[in-house]
Amino acid sequence: MAIIQGALVILLSFWMVLDQQGLVITTWFPIMIALFLGVIMGDMQTAMVIGGTFQLMALGVANIGGSSVPNWGLAALVGIYVAIKTTHNIEDAKAVALAVGVPVGMLGIQLDVIAKLLNTYVTHAAQKAANLGNFKKMNRIFWIGPLIFGLSTALPTALCVIFGEQIVKTILTFLPKWFTNGLSIAGSMLPVVGIALLLQVMPAKKYLSMLLIGFVLAGYLNIPILGISIIGFAIAYYFFNTKMNAPTTATVSGNTTEDEGDDFDE
Amino acid sequence: MSKILNKKDINKAAFRYMFMACNIFNYENQQGPAVVYGLEKSLRKIYPKDEDYKASLNNHFKYFNTTTWMANLLLGASLAMEEKDGVKSLDTVQNFKTGMMGPLAGIGDTLIWVLYPTIMGSISAYMGLQGNPTGAIIWLCLNIFFLFFRFKLFSIGYNSGLKLVTALGDKLSVFTEAASIMGLTVVGALIPSVVKMKVGLVFQTGKVKLPIQKEILDQIMPALLPALLTFIVYRLIASKKLSVIKIIFLIIILALVLSYFGILTV
Repeated sequence: MAIIQGALVILLSFWMVLDQQGLVITTWFPIMIALFLGVIMGDMQTAMVIGGTFQLMALGVANIGGSSVPNWGLAALVGIYVAIKTTHNIEDAKAVALAVGVPVGMLGIQLDVIAKLLNTYVTHAAQKAANLGNFKKMNRIFWIGPLIFGLSTALPTALCVIFGEQIVKTILTFLPKWFTNGLSIAGSMLPVVGIALLLQVMPAKKYLSMLLIGFVLAGYLNIPILGISIIGFAIAYYFFNTKMNAPTTATVSGNTTEDEGDDFDE
Repeated sequence: MSKILNKKDINKAAFRYMFMACNIFNYENQQGPAVVYGLEKSLRKIYPKDEDYKASLNNHFKYFNTTTWMANLLLGASLAMEEKDGVKSLDTVQNFKTGMMGPLAGIGDTLIWVLYPTIMGSISAYMGLQGNPTGAIIWLCLNIFFLFFRFKLFSIGYNSGLKLVTALGDKLSVFTEAASIMGLTVVGALIPSVVKMKVGLVFQTGKVKLPIQKEILDQIMPALLPALLTFIVYRLIASKKLSVIKIIFLIIILALVLSYFGILTV
């Protein structure tokens, strides 16, 4: 059973990067990884709490334009796996997941850079094959690209799966309580990084009022987040319609493509 | 008028590109090889002569990078142009691709890699922290829905070509702004609901006990400390004096120190 779980976790780590960079179905967002890991490990509760924590840290982290970012999905993956294997309550699990996950997630940056460097050679080889008229070979060479990316996450995961449990168990035996507590507290504070990062890339100053509305609805009125997003949607919908019907956008009036755009109003 | 490509070819090209997208990403021509991989089967049908085929492949090997979802529009339109004019269209195709990838990435990256994961990530992480996978499952379903939508984008690009792609741009920027409004409302709600800091100290004068968290801080404002922390981290990131990674480790150290002195509790 443990071997099958380990194998599935490694397989998932191989797939997640390919999917994130391609089809975007399962993605590498921590909470999504947590969903699959919860099923594999049979402990949805722990997986979700850890995945949620990493997900919040990952807000505002987007690998746009080829930049390399910490791989918080990988962090959640190894964090959840090792935490479920070694701990028995949720606070300890959070602490262990953070201690194991953060360094591995950071390592993700370097591994991503290496993969992209290696792929320069793959491209050259493929283009060379094409120019020699060897199109089948070109097609085969292309597949080295995803292989490299998959291994860039699968290798560190395999190391954590094979050695992580034993190492963490040994360390946990002589770690003082305040230390694991501290890590757990850090886990509750770290979502702030994702939020602050997000505020840099979003028009936070222009729409500060929306930020305050959200804060009051949650902080004072304790409305669940889904309800708050509906309120946010309502205001956004009003804004969109007012802007679209404004006379300044006369250029698009009477345009038949108008209907097509409505596909985006999810 | 003879159509060389049928619906199946278009969907196949869309799938091949969507799978490969950033999986052969390299620092030289970025998504170039993935474009070649995606279109090669269709291009082979368009160019039976090896020389023409090679010329087109080499053209697509050139630097290409935009939001992968949006690229579908461009690549669909490129195929339509090449199908119509053959090798004569290669310069136009290249100019069209390089001209449009910037503007589309500007909107697409914000919409798809920032706003969509912000809204879905916030909701599912918030539910996740309570051990509830519903949010993640909704996200997964939305991704599957969008996959079909992206197939459609490719054929929209193929069927309507250049005009629509340019017209869509204006509409999308208003849509992006509206989505930012919704996103910021959710982010505002996240601060009090997911960033947790609990002061464990208790004032004691004689027989009167005064828990600082409950009796003082919460009376001023709910989630006072998380709001302050958000502001501080926001300023720190904006000042660019510390990297995000350093800030993460600073918070972990801070949490450990505060936990050691019992100032913050779990």
